[in-house]
Order: sequence, then structure tokens, then C-alpha cells
Amino acid sequence: MQRYDYLKAIAGDAGDALAVCTGWAAREWWAVRPSDGNLKTRTLGLVSSIAAGLAIALPRRKVIAIDGDGAFLMNLCGLPTIARQNPGNFLHLLFDNEIFEASGGTATASRDCDAVTLAQGAGYKHALWVHTPEEFRDGFTSAWKKNQLTLLAVKVEPGQPPDLPPLKLDELENKYRFIRYVEATEKQPILNPGFDSKL
Amino acid sequence: MEHQAAEAAAAILAGLKKAGIDFVATLPDEKMLELIRAVERDTELKHVPLCREEEGVGICAGAYLAGKKTAIIMQNAGFLNSCNALTTTSLQFQIPLLMLIYYAGDIGDRGFTTLGSITEPVLKAMGFRTYVLRHGDEIEDTLRGAQILAEDSKRPVAVLLTKSALGVK
Repeated sequence: MQRYDYLKAIAGDAGDALAVCTGWAAREWWAVRPSDGNLKTRTLGLVSSIAAGLAIALPRRKVIAIDGDGAFLMNLCGLPTIARQNPGNFLHLLFDNEIFEASGGTATASRDCDAVTLAQGAGYKHALWVHTPEEFRDGFTSAWKKNQLTLLAVKVEPGQPPDLPPLKLDELENKYRFIRYVEATEKQPILNPGFDSKL
Repeated sequence: MEHQAAEAAAAILAGLKKAGIDFVATLPDEKMLELIRAVERDTELKHVPLCREEEGVGICAGAYLAGKKTAIIMQNAGFLNSCNALTTTSLQFQIPLLMLIYYAGDIGDRGFTTLGSITEPVLKAMGFRTYVLRHGDEIEDTLRGAQILAEDSKRPVAVLLTKSALGVK
């Protein structure tokens, strides 16, 4: 099973959740859940921190981080910070293929360490491995309903379907569309030009 | 001295609020102890204590996308830790961030001269407009002005906090 098989399994349950992705997973997530509420990050490791910032700022909105093992291991310091805030609306999904897939495929350290144990040690009260798309979907919908910070981790085969549509957004268009989407769905103004600012 | 530090901390906190800041990520330095404590005690600001500064740049970026006005309080060593995130998240996505950076190794500050010597050159190389805060009576205007620059340019802006501005020896 590849990451895409798992993303497909939850796409229909993601509703209007804000989703933050990284690496190759972005193209897959956009294919299964096209939305202006998707953001593709550029800093390896920060997908969980950016998603956490959203979740802390919008505590009534579901926020999903689509993390990979390379990024996850690069930002272990971020885990205790997230656990300390304990945002119940934050679903942290980890797809562990044991390689730096977008960087050429060399091995990460994840073959010899356990992401769920790391998350638990960092203070996540709910962190678990799942093994099938069905278990993944159950874990996802359960964490969503219980509104509890959860790391849902799964080992996946590297690779992705060859015929995924390309992402056509650069960072700025992605950002502006994302913010406008948050404004529209939260009914809250965010962006205003400087001359209209009260400051 | 403690009294001075508490006064300076209160002025900085009030300045942040007047600048519209409502979300603050922090990692302490001994010289900023009173300021961090003031942020911790405050009930209006959302405070996120960090384990490492680079994740704070990410957290603040996410909060900005959700409508928060964000600041990060850190030492200059932490600024150096954050350079990749500041480049590939803050600059690349054009995300404002008010950075309050303790200027370790500033003139007269023992022990950190290496750090002090590269702080302003690195800020300049990254294109961040930078203001060195030395006097308590400049706090309010500087923070407000820096936040206006950050919002309008959609980039991080740095305010370097010195011992004299923080009221500490």
C-alpha cells in the first residue's frame, strides 16, 4: 500500500478541514481532496508546526497535517510544543516510507526508531500505528469525533500513481487562496491592504 | 535593576499590544526573563512557548494564515537557528513576523561576541529591516512602526533588544 491509498480512504471524511501537506504527498492530497483549504509547505519539517499554528489560532476548525518521516524526524523539537498546547482539533498524519522520497530516496532513520513512541514521549496522549486503509479511516474519524490531538502513523511503500494532475499553484497563489478560503469559511476578515489598516 | 527590568518588560508588552500583536511565540534568554514572564502572565495574548526557534517560525506562519498578528521573542542564536524557516516559509510565502531578538554580544555584552558580530550582517543578508532598540522611551513607536513595516511588506522585521532597552545589566 502506498500513501495515496491511505489518503483516498479519508478524503471523503475530511470535510472542510484545513490541510497542510509537504513533498510528494501534496499532489496526491490535492488529487483526492481538491480545495483552497490545502496548503503546500516548502520548509522540510515545518508541516506539523504550520498546521499547529493554524489549529491553535482556529480552535473550532479541524486541521490536518500530512507529514512524512523525513520531515517528522527533522522537527522532533516541534512535538513537545504541540503536545503542550494540546489542540484537540489537530490531526497529525504520518506516512512513513523510511526514505527521503522527494530528495532521491536515501534512507531516513525511521527504520530504527518508532515515531509513535517518539510522539508519546513528547506528550501526545494519543498516538498509534495503523496497518490498513480501513484502520486508518477508523482512526481518523475517531480522532475527529473525539476532538483529541492524535498522531496517526502508518508504514507505506514509496511511490505514487503516475498520472496525478500537476499542482498549478505557486506559494503566493496558494497562500492567498488559502487565506481567502479561511476568511470565507470562518466569516472573518484577515487580509486588508495597509492603507485600510487601523494601525 | 529588577524594577527597571519589570518596567521595560511591561512597556514592551504594552507596545506589542498597541501594535496589534495577539499571538507570541517565545524562547527565553536570561536577559529577557522579565519580558517572558510578563508574556506568560498576560491573559490577552496567545502565548506559545517553544523548544527550538525554527518551529516557532512555522507556528507563527500558521497563525498568521488564520488571522493572527504574530511576534516571536528569541535570542540572536535562535534567530540563526531559524534562518531556513525564515527563508523558505516567511520570505517565500511573504508572511509578516515581528521578531524581537535579544542582541547577545552587543557592545559591552560579555561572552557572545562571535554571535554579536554576525547578527546584523546575517539580518542584512536576508533582507530583514532591522532596528536596534536602546532606550525605553523608543519602545512603543519602534514596535508599532516595525509591525506596520512587517504587515505592509509582508516580511519579517527585526527589533534587536539590548540590555539598556530591557533595563538589565
